[in-house]
Amino acid sequence: MPTVSEQELSLDFLAVHGLAVRKAAGPGAVADLLNADESAVAAVFDAAMAEGKIAGAKGIFMVAPAGQAWLADQYPIVYASAREDGALTAAYERFERVNTQLLALFTDWQTMPAGGQRVPNDHSDPDYDRVIIDRLGDLHERAERVVGNCSEAEPRLGRYLERLEAAYDKVLAGDTDYVSGVRIDSYHTVWFELHEDLLRMLGRQRQE
Amino acid sequence: MSQPEQRIIVLDGTQVPDREIIGGKAWSIARMTKLGLRVPPAFVIPISECARYHENSRTLDDDLWQQILSGVAAIEQATGRVMGNPDAPLLVSVRSGAAVSMPGMMDTVLNLGITDEVEYGLARITADAGYARDTHARFCHTYGDIVFKADLDPYVCGPSPSEVRDLVADDVGQAIPEDPHDQLRQAICAVFDSWESARAKSYRRHWGISDVGGTAVTIQAMVFGNLGDESGTGVLFTRNPLTGESVPYGEWLPGGQGDDVVGGTHAVKDLTELAQTMPNVHSELIEWAGILEHEHADVQDVEFTVEQGVLYLLQTRGAKRSPEAAVQIAIDLVHEGLITPAIAVSRVTSEQIRSVLLPYLAEHTVANVTPIAIGEPACPGVAQGIGVIDPDEVESRAAAGESLVLVRPTTSPNDVHGMIAAVAVVTDLGGSTSHAAVVTRALGRPSVVGVGDGVAEGLAGKELTVDGGSGRVYAGYLPLESTQIDDHPALAPLAAWANEHCPVQVVPNAEGDVLDLDSVAQVLDPQTGRVDSQALMEALSQASGPVRSSVLESAEGASALLESGVTVVVADPALPLQLRLIQASRT
Repeated sequence: MPTVSEQELSLDFLAVHGLAVRKAAGPGAVADLLNADESAVAAVFDAAMAEGKIAGAKGIFMVAPAGQAWLADQYPIVYASAREDGALTAAYERFERVNTQLLALFTDWQTMPAGGQRVPNDHSDPDYDRVIIDRLGDLHERAERVVGNCSEAEPRLGRYLERLEAAYDKVLAGDTDYVSGVRIDSYHTVWFELHEDLLRMLGRQRQE
Repeated sequence: MSQPEQRIIVLDGTQVPDREIIGGKAWSIARMTKLGLRVPPAFVIPISECARYHENSRTLDDDLWQQILSGVAAIEQATGRVMGNPDAPLLVSVRSGAAVSMPGMMDTVLNLGITDEVEYGLARITADAGYARDTHARFCHTYGDIVFKADLDPYVCGPSPSEVRDLVADDVGQAIPEDPHDQLRQAICAVFDSWESARAKSYRRHWGISDVGGTAVTIQAMVFGNLGDESGTGVLFTRNPLTGESVPYGEWLPGGQGDDVVGGTHAVKDLTELAQTMPNVHSELIEWAGILEHEHADVQDVEFTVEQGVLYLLQTRGAKRSPEAAVQIAIDLVHEGLITPAIAVSRVTSEQIRSVLLPYLAEHTVANVTPIAIGEPACPGVAQGIGVIDPDEVESRAAAGESLVLVRPTTSPNDVHGMIAAVAVVTDLGGSTSHAAVVTRALGRPSVVGVGDGVAEGLAGKELTVDGGSGRVYAGYLPLESTQIDDHPALAPLAAWANEHCPVQVVPNAEGDVLDLDSVAQVLDPQTGRVDSQALMEALSQASGPVRSSVLESAEGASALLESGVTVVVADPALPLQLRLIQASRT
């Protein structure tokens, strides 16, 4: 198996990695995640299907167990220098700090304090919600710096910033499902994927 | 000589200027003082001054500054304290206040006026050097964060004020002023500047709010809950926000100041403690809270501080409440004549009714049952199913009709499809702010997180009852109770009023043909799980009689229904849909 250096990350690897982050997706969604060409990703998927690395039907693919094992072998090789270099690790430490605050913010969005306990946020108090959306703006500014640092070490991560930006814009325009909605590219969905991507690149274990 | 132009307004209760003139916060203070309630002395620089500041190349002109100083002097006279005087220091809060609150406006700066000398003075007066130091350090952090926009991590108690000052100076290349008046001037400018911040501007652009206008600045004296035995701080709810019971409910921290309530540094006491130690203060508080509840015709959440036996109200707002309390309070306020039934049905949401109607475990059912796992409650509700570890297996078996609980060490984006298909989720790791908690709450799946390393795995293959409200998991399927609208003392009258005020007739069943919208069109986008309003409108246009659909209770569904002119809908129970329609018809 050829060793891939960080500078020339092959799409053979990235397309499967991107699919692993998204779990179940078509070539279009993975191409979007990687900022790559859709037809090129589709070609890699065809080859990876033939090798048994991924499985799929009706245009939706998933990484097969053999593909997961292959990825696990590839990560330490592909990201060897990134793991040693320190720039990405440092950016990740900062990511973790913003992550803690963002998750607290999502919780404040979904629940609200009532007499010492938390109850579901019924979104009946526009002032309460506005304060949280304002905090999201504040954290988004910090996220810009963090993801900016991450993408200096790995340029394709800059795509996450564009997706976060898009989610934040939707929230600001009043489509508040985009704070923490699950089946859409909400701020939480994109952030959660970025977290997964970084964990895989750095070979870290999820702490929660 | 003509009368000099009045460019600040002292909020002494003699007048209540419009919200559009002085902003929401000053307006709330003015309203309380007008009612004869004691609040810390304050003045406001009205909204009109914001535009003048920007026209004036972002500077406060001399005349305005002199008037601001006279406002400070008025507060100094009322409190007997002086800015910068270590023996009797006046500290103030500085807040922004636009007519409509919006993102990007400057947050509150508390304890402005503190310096090294004032810190030592405060340490002497309060006999608490640690408090004085922490207040000073916290002020430097807030000032750096809010006025200078320094990139700082959240404040933690520990670093000295000078360390925080250095941190701020290193990041922004500017020092926090040592003179209280310089601090004040800079903070006021920062409030006015925040009107033009990128975030505020983009919010106004999104919502079509005019850039003309601006923000007011409210300057208010800080009062001290830590001055001797007869001081403290607390919060009072005019009714119990968890049960709705018509009894004041709250917390009292003797000797506590501001953030202590959040910081947990003092032992929180019941309000009865306040009643025993300072009966006059307690009865005044209860009386004032009653006045506020009456004035606002809703349950209030009142923040207060007692300084040397004198009660001050800091803030009042509509109280956040549990779904059960929302129902009870709406009914009680009608019975007490504070609101009409029409308002009552607009105060309770369909989600709250759905939540009250969820099946639950009765206390006697679990009294003698030992849970097989205990963790943090992450999303309330009770669900039952068989524990399964693999999210793919959950997805495929759930598609075949089984009820399954996803049990996992942690959750990643790779597990989300399993969380969607599961009836509940249990994880080994994580707290109430983990990704798993966020996702399950967004989905409304009962969940328990952080049950401990390896515990979730042991739940695989077992029949489970998961109580996401208490954070407990029980073996087997315990009997569940459910609430019936018709024989519930608060839900039954609410349902009757909803019937009366709902713009569309909602019936539990109808004779003859009922058009099932879900079967004539794909009203729900399978990918995003969101309502496809266009498909729904088309389906509704085919209706000639009663309709039914699973999506009408959503905001999009309700507006589409109202727009369609359909007059009869079949839904059982009717109440949640009726409340949604009432809400939609008001906006």
